[in-house]
Amino acid sequence: MGTSVQVSPLCGVYNENPLSYLVSIDSFNFLIDCGWNDHFDPTLLQPLSKVASTIDAVLVSHPDTLHLGALPYAMKQLGLNAPVYATEPVYRLGLLTMYEQFLSRKQISEFDLFTLDDIDSAFQAMTRLTYSQNHHLTGKGEGIVIAPHVAGHLLGGTMWKITKDGEDVIYAVDLNHRKERHLNGTVLASFVRPAVLITDAYNALNNQPYRRVEKENEFGETIKKTLGAGGNVLLPVDTVGRVLELILTLEQYWTDKSLNYPIFFLTYVASSTIDYVKSFLEWMSDSIAKSFEQNRENPFLLKHVRFCISKSELDNAPDGPKVVLASMASLEVGFSHDIFVEWATDAKNLVLFTERGQFASLARILQADPPPKAVKVTMSKRVPLVGDELIAYEEEQNRIKKEEALKATLIKEEESKASQSADINASDPMVIDVSKTLASPDVAGQHSAGYRDILIDGFVPPSTSVAPMFPFYENTFDWDDFGEVINPDDYVIKDEDMDQTGMHVGGNLDGKFDEGSANMILDTKPSKVVSNELTVHVKCSLIYMDFEGRSDGRSIKSILSQVAPLKLVLVHGSAEATEHLKQHCLKHVCPHVYAPHIEETIDVTSDLCAYKVQLSEKLMSNVLFKKLGDYEIAWVDAEVGKTDSGMLSLLPCSNAAPLHKSVLVGDLKMADFKQFLASKGVQVEFAGGALRCGEYVTIRKVGDASQKGGGSGLQQILIEGPLCEDYYNIRDYLYSQFFLL
Amino acid sequence: MVSTGPQPSLKRRDSLVTREDDQLIITPLGAGNEVGRSCMYMSYKGKTVLFDCGIHPAYSGMAALPYFDEIDPSTIDVLLITHFHLDHAASLPYFLEKTTFKGRVFMTYPTKAIYKLLLTDYVKVSKVSVEDMLYNEQDINRSMDKIEVIDFHQTVEVNGIRFWCYTAGHVLGAAMFMVDIAGVRVLYTGDYSREEDRHLRAAETPQFSPDICIIESTYGVRQHQPQNVREKHFTDAIHSTISEGGRVLIPAFALGRAQELLLILDEYWSNHPEIQNIPIYYASPLAKRCLSVYETYIHSMNDRIRAQHAAKSNPFVFKYISPLKSIENFKDVGPSVVMASPGTLQSGLSRQLFDMWCSDRKNACVLPGYVVEGTLAKTIINEPKEVTLMNGLIAPLNMQVHYISFSAHADSAQTSAFLEELLPNNIILVHGEANEMGRLKQKLISQFADRNIKVFNPKNCQSIEMYFNSQKMAKTIGRLAEKTPEVGETVSGLLVKKGFTYQIMGPDDLHIFSQLSTANITQKITIPFGGAFSVLNHRLKQIYESVESSMDEESGVPTLRVHERVTVKQDSEKHISLHWTSDPISDMVSDSVVALVLNIGREIPKVVAESEAIKVEEENEKKVEKVIYALLVSLFGDVKFGENGKLVISVDGNVAELDKQTGDVESENEGLKERVRTAFQRIQNTVKPIPLSAA
Repeated sequence: MGTSVQVSPLCGVYNENPLSYLVSIDSFNFLIDCGWNDHFDPTLLQPLSKVASTIDAVLVSHPDTLHLGALPYAMKQLGLNAPVYATEPVYRLGLLTMYEQFLSRKQISEFDLFTLDDIDSAFQAMTRLTYSQNHHLTGKGEGIVIAPHVAGHLLGGTMWKITKDGEDVIYAVDLNHRKERHLNGTVLASFVRPAVLITDAYNALNNQPYRRVEKENEFGETIKKTLGAGGNVLLPVDTVGRVLELILTLEQYWTDKSLNYPIFFLTYVASSTIDYVKSFLEWMSDSIAKSFEQNRENPFLLKHVRFCISKSELDNAPDGPKVVLASMASLEVGFSHDIFVEWATDAKNLVLFTERGQFASLARILQADPPPKAVKVTMSKRVPLVGDELIAYEEEQNRIKKEEALKATLIKEEESKASQSADINASDPMVIDVSKTLASPDVAGQHSAGYRDILIDGFVPPSTSVAPMFPFYENTFDWDDFGEVINPDDYVIKDEDMDQTGMHVGGNLDGKFDEGSANMILDTKPSKVVSNELTVHVKCSLIYMDFEGRSDGRSIKSILSQVAPLKLVLVHGSAEATEHLKQHCLKHVCPHVYAPHIEETIDVTSDLCAYKVQLSEKLMSNVLFKKLGDYEIAWVDAEVGKTDSGMLSLLPCSNAAPLHKSVLVGDLKMADFKQFLASKGVQVEFAGGALRCGEYVTIRKVGDASQKGGGSGLQQILIEGPLCEDYYNIRDYLYSQFFLL
Repeated sequence: MVSTGPQPSLKRRDSLVTREDDQLIITPLGAGNEVGRSCMYMSYKGKTVLFDCGIHPAYSGMAALPYFDEIDPSTIDVLLITHFHLDHAASLPYFLEKTTFKGRVFMTYPTKAIYKLLLTDYVKVSKVSVEDMLYNEQDINRSMDKIEVIDFHQTVEVNGIRFWCYTAGHVLGAAMFMVDIAGVRVLYTGDYSREEDRHLRAAETPQFSPDICIIESTYGVRQHQPQNVREKHFTDAIHSTISEGGRVLIPAFALGRAQELLLILDEYWSNHPEIQNIPIYYASPLAKRCLSVYETYIHSMNDRIRAQHAAKSNPFVFKYISPLKSIENFKDVGPSVVMASPGTLQSGLSRQLFDMWCSDRKNACVLPGYVVEGTLAKTIINEPKEVTLMNGLIAPLNMQVHYISFSAHADSAQTSAFLEELLPNNIILVHGEANEMGRLKQKLISQFADRNIKVFNPKNCQSIEMYFNSQKMAKTIGRLAEKTPEVGETVSGLLVKKGFTYQIMGPDDLHIFSQLSTANITQKITIPFGGAFSVLNHRLKQIYESVESSMDEESGVPTLRVHERVTVKQDSEKHISLHWTSDPISDMVSDSVVALVLNIGREIPKVVAESEAIKVEEENEKKVEKVIYALLVSLFGDVKFGENGKLVISVDGNVAELDKQTGDVESENEGLKERVRTAFQRIQNTVKPIPLSAA
């Protein structure tokens, strides 16, 4: 039987919540994606917390909060302890996303779900892979191969292919099949007939026609108009993902139209983002790679866009119309939130959404139709403590310090006592038990603890001690036949240090985000968060334009029917979208479509039977293959035998094989066939769903070939006509389209 | 249309051919017992791979090319370039543009970016006559469009050849390629280094052990000094020269190792404030242009560089090193350090400076890389008393010459350790001077003496042939595999081959497991027929063993079903129609039915008595026997009627007895027995082609 595969969603089914799914392959548990949303609500992770400790590996697909946001928290609090696999950009940009989230949160609240250190340690566990790298798992997952493939949508975005015993499980969410400015389209369509495909229904109902040029023009026009009228434009964006495409679009538009309005890219990590992105060219589209190879032109050497990492930089900028790309896209927190509150009251301004806001976020509320006249927002600010508060804080801190110091000394005293008493417990206090001292470093440690207290507190013999002693240990030497045993390491000349010192520069993860923001958040200056609620009257114009970079519903459907998985699992998407896509796929893609609910485990083990046989040389020498595209096929009749090693092998038949029903192999496309016939001088035309060839003969194709998995997969072709020469000629042409086996 | 049934025996290939199919050939077209023009040809199972495509730096024009005339470029499926050095990549534009090659070319991203810069420069500076030019700048630009990129570890499959690459150290973007054809793996290291330096990672150890390892042997059995010792020598030599007021010339190849040396110098200068007033010049216009490549592909470098990059300081922006455009811009006043290309001292800026400085005792020349035989750089290593300048004059060689190798090639210890980890079954040494290579071969043979590992060092165009008896495994899937068969049972189905994987499946499952689909062609042909339907029925029964008559359920017209294959329907008084599903036998039956129908109109039906019918049958039986006998005679010659109706066939003294009824054959000789049995089966198929019912 095939490999057992179970899928159990932990979050993000029948809604647009973050993504997180448990996929077990022969009881090896993959956690695919580990997302959270901008609200950071721990209850969303409830299902994850139950299984976190059983996870064997984590696969991350995109560098945004929805796909990896919960990673630091899960590692720290939920007992998730497994290797994480991602592409290099997902690692880098994911790290920046998390920094940004943390810094934005910390600015307005006492955020304590995770710290920067937690983010660092969570990401340190990541193994970085490149696209189409077949990574063979070892240990428990022996035999499983994982490979990331291009997904589009975000830089480094990954579609995971997990293979075991020749059966593919593909996880592909947030795809974009179209080439964009900076990204290539997904390669999903090149995978054919995987055993299981897990995909999202997020865009199943979104059937916006796609016209990049017009859309980008409209985008530019809209912004230009607002700027021309003296208004400002705010684009709430994600930290590192789609914003890259927007930046390139704006750069291009500004260059084409020679505009001078300033563009600001404002996130806590803006300049790091661009720095990293500059060195990720090999992950971007072919055209970018090509222009770099040819002319060494890096499109992310930006001419018009300026990066800011604090709002003061923006405030210091000269007045006048400007475009600001600011995080977060949800408008819940971050710079975009503050700027929105500031600008919303001016009718000249424009807030241009480029992606659908997260569920229940401010952005989503504003995207409603018609947009709300006024919204309630909470303005929070971190202010340094002053006056009485500061004094109170300091007193509090001092008190805590004192307490800690007191505790520490108490512990130390306890320890020293313990160590002393340990000595006393030895049978004879005067005999120094060398072996014991040397054998256990713990004991030595206690001794030194004892030392320190002696130095601090003066020489006060514990009341329990029998005889006061100076701590003393003898250096013993091991001897063997050749004399004293030496450790060769002691004699190695340590000149390697010379390059060591030179080679290790800087810590690994520190100092990666911009220093300005770091100072602001991480300084030890006591501060507090002040919040006040206010109502903002939304007067500015609100526009939504789709720059999400996801395939639309129609394309998804056509890709799915092309991929034609044996089993399909649908996740992530509103209930309606999921149901819609499910019904569609049941009809047109394959008979096994699942849309599990949270914590519902579905078994998508393929009911495929298989066994391996060896093809004997004798048999193969008699087989004549026929080439058909990538395939070569032949009919074999063989007798089963056994090899010396007990493998089943196929030998030529000793008796004549019974005649088998002949098989016609080939895919007849009526339109192509029509062309073919026309080229042979036969008059052809389509009439009433049939192909009329010559005067009398008609060819008809019965049954739907597009319904690959669902139907019998057999094309029924009907050729009809009176007895005449044409009939036989046309039949011969028809036969020539097939291989007979 | 092709007939069904067993395959004709003519296609049985003899065992030699099969063996040829398992033959793997590796031929060095260059770099066999020499350094330069790396080019390895490899062919297995009809798939052909070429590794590298370099030129020999000591020759020019066509003579510098690898021996391309040994192969047919049009048969090559994949060409893999390991790194951008001229001796590995410089004949690529020629090969792509001037030969019949039509396969696909792959290299890593950094290699492709630098390849263009480097070759464009190479074309510009190489001072050969126009007819000697192998290609021009346009050829390089055109070749760029044909080159595809591969990322480290990315698996690519072309035509059943799967390959991926590992970091090789050596220079930025250098790769070792692992090629997998039908389960046989070949690793080609290109130039590699197992030592991590200031900016590059060390060569990785591949996850899988290859069957064949084609490995460089540049340094033969020599051992490198530890890196820090070499660096100390290097910096000490420079420091002492400049502190005595001398000038230091470092002739280096523009790209690759030069960056490493610059990193060392810059760091040394920053640690030694006392010499910071002494300028370091780097004279290479190329290097500046390549800098953006180095900055962009930071992820191909080691953690140290990446950490610096992350800390926002660009490691390739040097504090103490300034660029130098040409010798005109160079003010030769007082001590200085100049790094200039080319590393061979054959021409160019490095030679100009050498000529200026060579006679002054205070000056020094530090050769930091591998020096190729036949160049001035190689000559001065032996510290001759005098050298010939570019203008033909002879000058005394007074300057000190230091040879401190930083060229990132594996040394003997690294090679041994690397092979010890890999344990390939076959080792092929390339890219090394004949003597060095021979010594390394001896060393490796003794190292792996107790293991069955073969070591080769082929000369150019000398092929190494190996045989890999690959077991072909097939996976039976789908409905055909519902039950695992016992020994002796038969399996019949479609054998589908894609690349080198085989699957056996039932025809119904074809569309599930492959992109192929099957079709049914139903035919309907209308024939004018004015006679009585019962006459037709009668005539058909005379010819065919099975004719069933019934009524069509829908239209209520009478129908006849011949051999359960062809249905004859009386559509109207004037017409009948034939319905059947295409396959060769049904087509034949329908054709004969058509002929019969057409003939009925002409002939008056003969009434045949029952007894005659029996007689006919007997006659038929006799005829069949005669035919069988005649065919057997034509095949085997000596055929006699033996006892109890058996046929005795004797061929070359071997005797076989054939039972005509059952088809059983008895013979001492297995081969004859097999042949007689097959022959008899086929004869029977010919005599009685139509089985009573459809299979």
